[in-house]
Amino acid sequence: MMVIMFMMKQVFRAGVILLLAGACYAGQTLTPIPGNIPAPDFELQDTEGNTHRLSDYRGTPVIINFWTTWCPPCREEIPSMNRAWHQLERDGVVMLGINMGEDEDTIFVFSADYPADFPMLMDQAGKVIDDYPVKGLPTTYVVAPDGTFAYRAIGGREWDDAALLDKVRALRE
Amino acid sequence: MKPVLLMLFLLLPPAVMADVTHTTNPDNGLQGWHFSDGDIEIELVQRLPDQTRALFMQHAFSSEVIEELATSCMFQTIIRNTGASGSGQPVSVDLGEWRMQHAGSRGPIKLKEPWMASWPEEAADPAARLVFRWGMFPTRQEFLPGDYNWGLTAFGIPPGSVFDLDVSWLERDSSRTGKITGIVCTPDVDALQ
Repeated sequence: MMVIMFMMKQVFRAGVILLLAGACYAGQTLTPIPGNIPAPDFELQDTEGNTHRLSDYRGTPVIINFWTTWCPPCREEIPSMNRAWHQLERDGVVMLGINMGEDEDTIFVFSADYPADFPMLMDQAGKVIDDYPVKGLPTTYVVAPDGTFAYRAIGGREWDDAALLDKVRALRE
Repeated sequence: MKPVLLMLFLLLPPAVMADVTHTTNPDNGLQGWHFSDGDIEIELVQRLPDQTRALFMQHAFSSEVIEELATSCMFQTIIRNTGASGSGQPVSVDLGEWRMQHAGSRGPIKLKEPWMASWPEEAADPAARLVFRWGMFPTRQEFLPGDYNWGLTAFGIPPGSVFDLDVSWLERDSSRTGKITGIVCTPDVDALQ
């Protein structure tokens, strides 16, 4: 009987651990990208006419979000990205939205409903997105200060979540 | 040993058995099918042909291509790795492996690469092709826990048709399959009147 009770306790403990692990994975995640793979450099204009090169931001963590106006989960995550940006800006983190395939007028009209204060870059020919390992929209990469990929998120996230933002802040040199 | 086995059974995560639910949105009447098994969730939500026309008419597609897209039984599709098992394993999906049954025959679903390649150059300009390429669900994709993607899938049968879908995926290297039955392509607007 004692043996059975002991085994039941062990099984119960294992079950609780499994359930807790499941709960963790089901939450918000950033997937680490091992191997110090360099993020491809790019040069794109934002909607204000300013030019941005990824290499300009060496020494700083950079969040790069690929999106379009017609992608529902992209639209859904923009408000939380904007709130996250207001938290991260003062922490020395750069956030860049890269719109795929649309022009500044389309983004301007869209931004009336979904305001974003971080730079919105335009990849109208879809060349930059092809250089990145992006399969679907939205996809977000976090680039470490040394210019290598640190994390990725496929699909939308609630970006103003300390669990995510602390990982980005921890990349600062 | 029986109490231990019972305990083990009770502790199994509920998602180990396939679960398919069918819903109807009370606001717009569109139907959806939600499949979950292990770490994967697949959701198919009907699109009205007019919704698809509206999306692609904003871009430089020929009217023939727009009509072809609108009447190809498109679904808004979401695939997610829920991480329900807690194993942290990746889930890989290849839409080229999915099979549909319709009107007594079984075959593949429409994939974006051969579809786009079938259009003559003048049927869609490069910007329109970008919209199509990124609007359709990727043919092959790996999802880590928490990852999901959204996109359109097309089944290439007329509006109003009913079909069954055999879905398949890999959890790490283990091949899994499931079935969603009785999926209905949204009727076109003239059939709704």
